[in-house]
Amino acid sequence: MGSAQLEVLLQTLISGLLLGGLYALIGLGMTLIMGVMKIINLAHGELMMVGMYIAFWMFTLFGVDPYLSVFIAGPVLFFLGIAIQKFLVNPVLKVDSILPENQVILTVGIGMVLSSAATIAFKSDYRSTPVSYGTSAFYLSDIWKGSPIELSLSIPWSVSFVFALAITGALWFFLQKTDMGKSIRATSQDLDAALLMGVNVQRMRVVTFGLGSGLVGAAGCLFIPIYYLYPALGGQFTLIAFVITILGGLGSNVGAILGGLILGLFESLTATYVGMGWAPVGRFLIFIAALLFLPGGVASLLRRRTFGK
Amino acid sequence: MRCPTLVLRAAFAVSICGASLLQGADPLNLSIPLPLTGGQAKFGEMMKRSYEMATDEINAKGGVKGRKVILAFEDSQAKADSARAIVEKLIDVKKQPIIIGEYTSACAKAVAAVANERKTPYLIVASADDAITQQNYKYVFRQNVPNAYYAQGLVSFFKDVVKPQSIAILFESSDFGTSGAADMEKHAQRMGMKVVLKEKYEKGAVDFKPILSKVKQAAPDVIFMVSYVMDASLLMKQLKELRVDAKLFAGGAAGFALPEFVDNAKDAAEYVVTATLWTPQVKYKGAKEYADKYKAKFGDFPSYHGASAYSAMYVVQDVLTRAKSLSQEDITAAMKKTDLQTAYGHIKFEDRDGYQNQCFSETFVLQVQKGEHQTVWPATYANQKYLFPIPKWRDRK
Amino acid sequence: MNRVAIPLAVFGALLALPLIGLSSYTMHILVLVLMWTTIGMAWNLLGGYCGQVSFGHAAYFGVGAYTAGILYFKLQISAWWGIPLSVAVVSVFAFLLGYIVLKLRGPFFALATLASGEVLRITTENMGEFTNGTLGILIQQRTWIEKTWYYYIILAIAALTFVVIRKLVASKWGYYFVAIREDQDAAESLGIDTTRYKTIALVISAILTGICGAFYTNYMGYIDPHIVFALHDISIITIMIVMVGGVATEWGALIGAGIMVLLAEWIRAIPGLGASHQAFFGILLIAIIIFLPNGIVGDLPKITRLFRRARA
Repeated sequence: MGSAQLEVLLQTLISGLLLGGLYALIGLGMTLIMGVMKIINLAHGELMMVGMYIAFWMFTLFGVDPYLSVFIAGPVLFFLGIAIQKFLVNPVLKVDSILPENQVILTVGIGMVLSSAATIAFKSDYRSTPVSYGTSAFYLSDIWKGSPIELSLSIPWSVSFVFALAITGALWFFLQKTDMGKSIRATSQDLDAALLMGVNVQRMRVVTFGLGSGLVGAAGCLFIPIYYLYPALGGQFTLIAFVITILGGLGSNVGAILGGLILGLFESLTATYVGMGWAPVGRFLIFIAALLFLPGGVASLLRRRTFGK
Repeated sequence: MRCPTLVLRAAFAVSICGASLLQGADPLNLSIPLPLTGGQAKFGEMMKRSYEMATDEINAKGGVKGRKVILAFEDSQAKADSARAIVEKLIDVKKQPIIIGEYTSACAKAVAAVANERKTPYLIVASADDAITQQNYKYVFRQNVPNAYYAQGLVSFFKDVVKPQSIAILFESSDFGTSGAADMEKHAQRMGMKVVLKEKYEKGAVDFKPILSKVKQAAPDVIFMVSYVMDASLLMKQLKELRVDAKLFAGGAAGFALPEFVDNAKDAAEYVVTATLWTPQVKYKGAKEYADKYKAKFGDFPSYHGASAYSAMYVVQDVLTRAKSLSQEDITAAMKKTDLQTAYGHIKFEDRDGYQNQCFSETFVLQVQKGEHQTVWPATYANQKYLFPIPKWRDRK
Repeated sequence: MNRVAIPLAVFGALLALPLIGLSSYTMHILVLVLMWTTIGMAWNLLGGYCGQVSFGHAAYFGVGAYTAGILYFKLQISAWWGIPLSVAVVSVFAFLLGYIVLKLRGPFFALATLASGEVLRITTENMGEFTNGTLGILIQQRTWIEKTWYYYIILAIAALTFVVIRKLVASKWGYYFVAIREDQDAAESLGIDTTRYKTIALVISAILTGICGAFYTNYMGYIDPHIVFALHDISIITIMIVMVGGVATEWGALIGAGIMVLLAEWIRAIPGLGASHQAFFGILLIAIIIFLPNGIVGDLPKITRLFRRARA
């Protein structure tokens, strides 16, 4: 392998990893909601769009750095999620219907209302936050003058990645160490058992939906410095979130992180070595492969190993 | 006996006069299908504003044959069957004798087929796909040049100034992107340029770096991209991040020609050239006034989409004024004879090179200089000298 | 008696409808309503009766549409042959996809079908030689300008679908389908070969959807991958039609298609609503699903009860 090929490979791996970290954060919100409530939330991407608009307006009006908006958009989306769950999702889950999937229409409707409201309020203009460090990067040749290859590491991408890791870490801590986190995990793993153990399942559901929304809102803030924003942007991220959720294993947080990273790497490698037009096919092929051969997702592999010993 | 006849006659004359006066006051309703929601809404909105601006001006000067023009817009959501439904309604229910509008090529194709079947003239404003005016449609007219001609100005810029040996083509997977890339490939072969890479990407991609590092390895003289606006800014930003150098970064109209491209890509947009069908600096009569008025009202210069929509209203006014009646046949006949100077250029519909009812006009090259789009080519239209060669990323501040 | 009389009356009324001289625009909307009714009924067989909620019916719609389109584009054969041919092509695709996705259950099945539709869309885009890629396929001259024939063709397809599904649901197979929906494990333990019957439901549902796809190519005269493999505009609209109309009911698809097409068209055209028609429609969907979780036909007793109480 010549140095040129090596450069392409390494650069591809770097981008894949960074992209994967961000994907993971989108997937985390989805996996929480799907794990606890067993519903398919097609408004997930639209919630992310709302988070991005918050970051955008905070930046434009008050000059707040998008990364700081994580602490604004997160809580706002948390409460929005709680409201959606309490007033819309719960009434639908309660009633008896032939197919439980009718909640899907509900989330489609919510998504339509959110993106349409954004169009009315903010016009359909494309927006972004032109932060000063938008295209800065670290270069290998700046550090190591004689380097035979040139690699670059984008600053905003790296910062977003680090933020994503930090948020994920905080979530992990919350779910593992706090009582409420444990109750959420219990509800996710076995609803009936959780009920028997005296977990307030209703409340856990509300909190989970809020938490999932808050996470994806935060993800929106991390995306806007490197991406852009318009009202109809949600759909594609909803799909990505699904892929990660299934790849990682429903309800598993570690799984979602690994799923995100795998997806990011896989997409980047497909883009380089097969063709970028095929990258989305690759995305869905590993999705179906995961559904078939790894029904529990990556998480089941991890579990098997720990139990095996 | 004479008297009453006279009175009668007078009364008759008055009534005719009154009727025609009334008819004159009768407004002319025109509905325009456009994408107002969804991913293409940005362009729909720009065109909507431009249609409205032109209509206000026309009405202020007395409307069309004394009739006030009242515009309405219907959202096709960039969906072909919705666009078709709207146009069927306009033709059937509202008896509108002429159809204008739509944006995406897919919708324009759906509308063109209906319009031609129903023998209703249809004026296409900004849909690029070559095939639309190659179907022997008698009633379909197109004001913007087809995709194959978008890059003509750019190609002559390549020939005369850049003289590249190799080119890499990146394009979005859409009607517009695919045909733009294919046309550029043909140009390249004709000029003896080697196409070192031709890659498609899914619109809305987040990360272009894998493909760009491949471009970097291929080291082409020119990197040519056909993209909508935000993909265009992401591409340039990431080219800068990876320090992919080339003699020239070129865009194939659409996204690269919008002011948002510069707003979003910031310094990464500097020196990028793009093909375009119109610029705010063109010397067509009314172009500057339109561009300034638009900027004063909405904060940004419009791109060719807006200018074309704006001028389309004047074409409609001209055609309806010349048409013997408001029947579809008469309007079509008048349309065929159009010969009008507008803010968008000289509008004339010709049958040539396999196209029918196609308006051919000059295309331009813009270059981003100090954060502004400047017209640099053809030299006769240029308001700034092009900057070439361009510095390497490393040497930019 | 009603079981025969009502469908015949509806069919008769629909048969007579074009005779009263409707505008071409109204006919277009009616053709779309009937097409969506057929797709909805087809989906209902798999989703409503058999309980397998598919998010990927665009896959079969698109394959049907492209069967017709490629006949015209590659072989210069009338795209109408696509309707019979799509039966064969779509069943092959449905068998293959079904083999993969039917191993999964519940939300996993839903997501796998969703992915299958997307994979087909992107594959079609990338196989430019064969499918003309994103440029799509444009039929230069549609068969008729007048819509009457299209209307009767899609009406015939819809009527056929209605009869096929009624017969199926009333047969032994129909009971197996419902048994699978209610409890797949119990059905299995009763000796029902669940994979086999799910595959049957999927393939029939797919074929009927594919026929509509082939019809769409002929009717619209232009297809591209974004249109016919659309996730939102085809797959999800299909689900909404059935759920709004009534899951596992005979007439749900017709009512749902009527609402989704007619009402959407009507709301969109309200002057002054502009871009907010989407929000309006979204709220309507939310309201329907909260108050009528089984759809309009499914919750008809509830509606009549409400009206009776209001009158009392």
